Parts: sequence; C-alpha cells; structure tokens
Amino acid sequence: MHPINKSSPSQFVAVASIASELSAVMEVAKEISLAAANAKAIAFRAGEKARGFQPITDFINELAKETIELINDFNGHALTFYKLTVSEHRIGDAYKRLELSSKLAQGAQYSHSLQASLDSSKIKMQDCRRQFKGHVMKLLDQLETVMHPARAARVIAANSRIEASQAGEYLQSLQAVAESVDNAAQVIHDNVQRCRSLLSVVVTV
Amino acid sequence: MKMTKIYEGAYQWIMFGRDESKPDSIIDSNQYMVRTANRCLIMDPGGVELFAPMLAAVMHHAPVEQITDLFASHQDPDIVSSLGLWDQAVPHAKLHAPALWEGFIRHFGCNSIEYVGIPDNGGTIKLENAELQLIPAHYLHSSANFHVYDPQAKILMSGDVGAALEGPGAPMFVDKFDAHMEKMRYFHQRWMPSNQAKRIWIERVRMLDIEILAPQHGRMFKGDNVKRFLDWFEALQVGIAV
Ligand SMILES: [Fe+2]
Ligand SMILES: [Fe+2]
Repeated sequence: MHPINKSSPSQFVAVASIASELSAVMEVAKEISLAAANAKAIAFRAGEKARGFQPITDFINELAKETIELINDFNGHALTFYKLTVSEHRIGDAYKRLELSSKLAQGAQYSHSLQASLDSSKIKMQDCRRQFKGHVMKLLDQLETVMHPARAARVIAANSRIEASQAGEYLQSLQAVAESVDNAAQVIHDNVQRCRSLLSVVVTV
Repeated sequence: MKMTKIYEGAYQWIMFGRDESKPDSIIDSNQYMVRTANRCLIMDPGGVELFAPMLAAVMHHAPVEQITDLFASHQDPDIVSSLGLWDQAVPHAKLHAPALWEGFIRHFGCNSIEYVGIPDNGGTIKLENAELQLIPAHYLHSSANFHVYDPQAKILMSGDVGAALEGPGAPMFVDKFDAHMEKMRYFHQRWMPSNQAKRIWIERVRMLDIEILAPQHGRMFKGDNVKRFLDWFEALQVGIAV
C-alpha cells in the first residue's frame, strides 16, 4: 500500500484552536463590558468623589464593544479560512493520488492522458495554497487590531486606579473594577497572541 | 489490480479487481467497465484507497478524456467514496446514480461531474453502440439500488447481490458452486434486509438472458451457475439480524 500523506492534520487542529481561543476572548470582552456598567453605577453613587472615573467607565465600555465587533468580524473571515483549509486539503489529497496513479500507470498505453488532469489539479492546488496564505496574512493583521483595544484597556486600568484612590469609601469597589479590567485585558492579549502564533505555524507548515 | 476481459464484441466489458496493493482492512471490490469506440462507463468505481490503482489500470484501456460515464449502484463507501477524486480526474464525466441518494452521495465531492439521478423505476445508459439497462434492485441491500444489464453481452452487473467475502487472489469465476455457497451465505443473510425485495428481484432477473452475473465482491457466475445462484438465493432467508 502506498501511504498518502494528508496535507497537515496540525492545520485543522490550529484552526479549531483559534476558534476556541477567540470565543474565550469574546467572553472576556463581555465581562469587561459588564465591569464597565458596574463601575458606572458605583461612580454615579460616589458622585463628586468619583467624577474623574465616569468618563473612564464609558471608555472601557467602548473598548469592550470594539473588541466584540472586531471578533465578530474576524469570525466571518475565519469561516472562509476553514473552507479554504478544507478545500486545500481536498485538492492536495487529490493531487497526490493522481500523481500516484500516474506513477502506477507508467508503461500503460494511455498513461500520457493523465498529464492534463495532473497539471490542472496542480494549478488548483497552488492557487488554493496562495489564497490560503493570503488569507492567513489578512487574519494576522486583523488580530493585530484586536490587540489595540486590549492594550489601551491596560493603560485605562492604570488611570482608573489613580482615580479610584480619590474616591473615599468607594476606593475598594472602584479598585476592584480597575483590577478586573486589567486582568481581562491581559487575558485578551494572551489569547490573541496565542492565535497569532497558531496562525503563523499554519502558514509555515 | 488484475484486469479481465469478460466480453469482447462490438465493444468490451473489463473487470478490475484483486488489487494487491490494498490494505487488508479494506474489503476487496470488483470494478467493471464498458469500453466502446470512444467512450467508457465505469461501474461502482470504488473507495478512496482504490482510486489511484484503479485509474492507473483504466489507462491500459482508454485515455482519461474517454471516461465519460460513471455508475454507482448505491451510496456505499466501497462503491463510490472515490467520487471526489474522479471529480478532479474526469470533471467532464457524468455520474449515473440513484436519484434518492443524490444529497448523500454528493458528500463524497461532486462539483464538476454531472449527477444524473436514476428514478426508482430505472432507466438506460446509452454508450455509443452499447445500450445498458438500469434494473431496479431496491433494498438489495440499499433502499435505492440499481443493477446494470447488457442484453447484447448478456451480463448483469449485480452490485452486492452475489457477493462473497473471500481471501486475496481468489479466482475470477465460481468453479464449484457448492463450495462457494458458504462464502456467500452470511453476507446475503446479514446485508440483504428484505425477503420480499429479494423475491421480486429474482422474478425480474429470471426474465433476463444472463450469461455472466457480475457482483461487486468475490467471483463472477457464468452459465449454469447463474441459475444455481438464483435458486440458492431464492431459498435463502435474509434479514436475519432482527
Ligand atoms: Fe453495499
Ligand atoms: Fe459492496
């Protein structure tokens, strides 16, 4: 039996892992949005003492929304990415089997007639590969943009801590908000970073 | 892949089978081809693992562009899971297969090949000077299932009916029918679900003039062994798992 090496099973695993990393990011972004609403309520009650905090909560909320939108957008592209992964795998497999067939047919009267199918499937395979790589590059770019709000959120969290310190008896609850925003931003950052390295592995396979 | 010419007249029938390169875990299958002057019909082209050796074997008989028609008796993986690969190799071809199974068989990949659905009551495939009849064989064993009858060559390609599970290198034709019965019994009892379907199929097939009965697994039946097979099958109780 002639073993047929599949294009790369690791590619499918990477694609699946990216999907799960991103749905985790989505959850965290929703948490941030909740924390922002919470902070807004506290700041409202704190009134004068937390005046500097109010615009910060709005900003946090915006950042969370932006992250959610970016990921939704990304998921649309990811769907194309899955489809490309599957068709690349299919056409790659077909090419290998056609190649094997033409090797086995050596010496057969009509073996030369296989060349056209072999050529056309090779072109399709290369085309698919090119599209696939192009798409991965686009996704990498997009992930870079998802990181922006997460980075900004960390800066905001630092500011929030300063503002919270002036909020008297509300200090602790506002500090907790700052803390959770900071943690969430960190989680998003790490997840997105993992996605990016998974994607770069996929293109170098 | 061994190739055996089973009819030579105005056109040819070729049987492909006993593939030495297949993994042991995969059931051996027979593929059949009708070759006319400029066209070929491949019947039950086989599973994914069989694609490369099968296509290579066909290259001894016809160029790729003359493979114009494929036929699938039913939806099983050993029948037609190679479809996605044929779709790349012969995008210009037609697949004749049960209309009922279209949405299922397309899972194997059928983007360029045209799916020609066979209605429940059968039909014909005209391949230049060969006129092939599609004989309904529903529930034998698949719920929508067809056999191919060639009145000129007197061959009935009978899909899984007449199949036997045999070791590698078995002869092409049944020689001693009594010894062969045991190799077919369990397969027919377990895979064939309906005694009624079996009875109706036997009635229909007895009206055909058959010189060779050509199943998708195991050996072919020739001459008197065709009648022996029909009698044996008639007496056999099938659908034993319930
Ligand atoms: Fe079957
Ligand atoms: Fe079968």
